[in-house]
Amino acid sequence: MADATELDRTYDFVLHAIVADGQAPHFTAIAREFGVSPDDGRRRLHDLMAAGLPNWLQPDTDLIASFAPFNNLPTQYRITVEGQQKWFAQCGLESLAMTWMFPGKTVRVDAPCLDCGEPLRVAVRDGVIENEEPRGIWFYIDIPFREWRANLPFS
Amino acid sequence: MNLFRSEEHARRWSRFRAEAAGGLLPLADAMAIMSTPRHRDRLSGRFVSSAAGYAPQFFERVKAVTRNDPFWDPTPR
Repeated sequence: MADATELDRTYDFVLHAIVADGQAPHFTAIAREFGVSPDDGRRRLHDLMAAGLPNWLQPDTDLIASFAPFNNLPTQYRITVEGQQKWFAQCGLESLAMTWMFPGKTVRVDAPCLDCGEPLRVAVRDGVIENEEPRGIWFYIDIPFREWRANLPFS
Repeated sequence: MNLFRSEEHARRWSRFRAEAAGGLLPLADAMAIMSTPRHRDRLSGRFVSSAAGYAPQFFERVKAVTRNDPFWDPTPR
């Protein structure tokens, strides 16, 4: 079983890797980072994903599917920073939290409205909404807050 | 958890449920909910070991932003 320090370090590595690359690392990259065997890298990944955070693996695999605020599979929430669109947000709410992954930079969220399909664009810098097009964008979830944890991929 | 062009667009979405209308929020409120240390501190280097401590402030923020709407009550039933 991993201790808190190991979980913190593994989490930090995975998150920084996604920020840098736009893709989640494989467990062999975790192993390389910490100088351990591939099997131990795999164990570290599974320990981290069992830590109760809003992150999950592709079912029946060792592959990261989602690691908040990022999604490792494309979603409708495209994230652009400094002209590079190489990230996807886990959901509409986490697309706003993406600002904390890129301090000091403007994070642009592009997504279609699920009702009309028209493009929406939100620009956020250090937690401040700089721009929204069109003005008056709203957020909606139909799952009550207390049920989010049990329905993470659907929330 | 989705974004819509307006409240009207969210309400007329094919999967909108009137009984879950509490889940509607203006963009600024959604941003406020995602701005406590629970979401701000992910790059802190000690996020996993600190995660439990982030919950009270996050829940307080959710409560304040949603004005105690029961839809946003975190207490399991």
